[in-house]
Amino acid sequence: MTDAPLTPFDDRDALAAEYVLGVLDLAERAAAEAQIKSDPEFAALVHRWEQRLAPLNDDIAPEPVPPAVWTRIDARLFPKAAPPARKSWRLWLAGAVTAGIVVFGILTLMPPTARGTVIASLGAAESTLIYEARHDGTHLLVTRVAGSPAPEGQTHELWVIAPGAAPVSLGLLGVDPLDVEYPRPPAGWVLAVSVEPAGGSPTGAPTGPVILTAEL
Amino acid sequence: MTAPLPDRTEICLLLERVSQQDKLAFRALYDAAGPKLMGVLLRILGTRSEAEDALQEVFTRVWLRAGRFDPTRGAGMTWLIALSRNHAIDRLRARKPEQSDDEAASRIPDTAPRAETRLIAKGEARRVSECFDSLEPQRADAVRGAYLDGLSYDALAARHNIPLNTMRTWLRRSLLKLRECLDQ
Repeated sequence: MTDAPLTPFDDRDALAAEYVLGVLDLAERAAAEAQIKSDPEFAALVHRWEQRLAPLNDDIAPEPVPPAVWTRIDARLFPKAAPPARKSWRLWLAGAVTAGIVVFGILTLMPPTARGTVIASLGAAESTLIYEARHDGTHLLVTRVAGSPAPEGQTHELWVIAPGAAPVSLGLLGVDPLDVEYPRPPAGWVLAVSVEPAGGSPTGAPTGPVILTAEL
Repeated sequence: MTAPLPDRTEICLLLERVSQQDKLAFRALYDAAGPKLMGVLLRILGTRSEAEDALQEVFTRVWLRAGRFDPTRGAGMTWLIALSRNHAIDRLRARKPEQSDDEAASRIPDTAPRAETRLIAKGEARRVSECFDSLEPQRADAVRGAYLDGLSYDALAARHNIPLNTMRTWLRRSLLKLRECLDQ
């Protein structure tokens, strides 16, 4: 095989293939993900490789899924009544407090102005950043009302924490308001904002510092 | 033998309904695609408990992001598997390096296509199979191992007992060769 250097196009296409294969390390992967978001041409190369290699998916046999997995998904996405226990989120919150973050949550029940009712304001004493959470009966709307968005290469991610449960991501907070269909979280639940690498937490749990929280 | 894959059109239609926040369709999609995605996640992550956690996360994302699926740009199942693989690989790479590499390198290689897959291979699948056959066996094995088992460059280099940079050169050349064959 020849050792001639790759053309710039082949070099980029090989990177797209490496991303789809999954061989890159964490930092290279994050860089590739940022490129997918910012560069539609690169995103198209990645998509093309996903299609090219898709026939390999036939080599993977289905595996039984225990019923408990659906129960957990159902409970996360479609919460019903709020159990009163509050121990576990307090513990989780304690982490944020030790990190030197002063937390205040304001529960405001103002009359509906824009869309829905304000259900929480997420802020921190030493930060000018404030997000406002509204609920219109079916959707949760989260808007930045003060401060700046996350710096380049990072993003703010919104989490909801049911009493006694692990945080669940509701989406990324970018320039536009976050608008997601979600039932109105009952009193005692917590909304939190963490700083994550661009594209959101890679693990499904908050990985960066929790900068804002509010108890409902 | 394994159950045949769910109809791809069905997955597409379900995804469309899920993007309109149809909970019944979400449940039907989970029933239709869950076992296959569980297979993908288990193969990469190695343990059932982690694969189950990952499946929960994948379906949470499906519920929130189904609107991003574009049926004109590929099959619904391909989209779901790409979402699952990306999540599983993110989890693997977020582990401590020595942990993931040791685990990955010591995992029993299982990259040969299953017999029944060979028998039913047709169209695209047969094409991929032929193109893999055009690579040197070791290199074809490295590409398959990376795709199916989520092996990193470190783990691949360890498995094939060659320096990391050589592995990378190998794999990149092999991928471009595959592209040439597949796009013909």
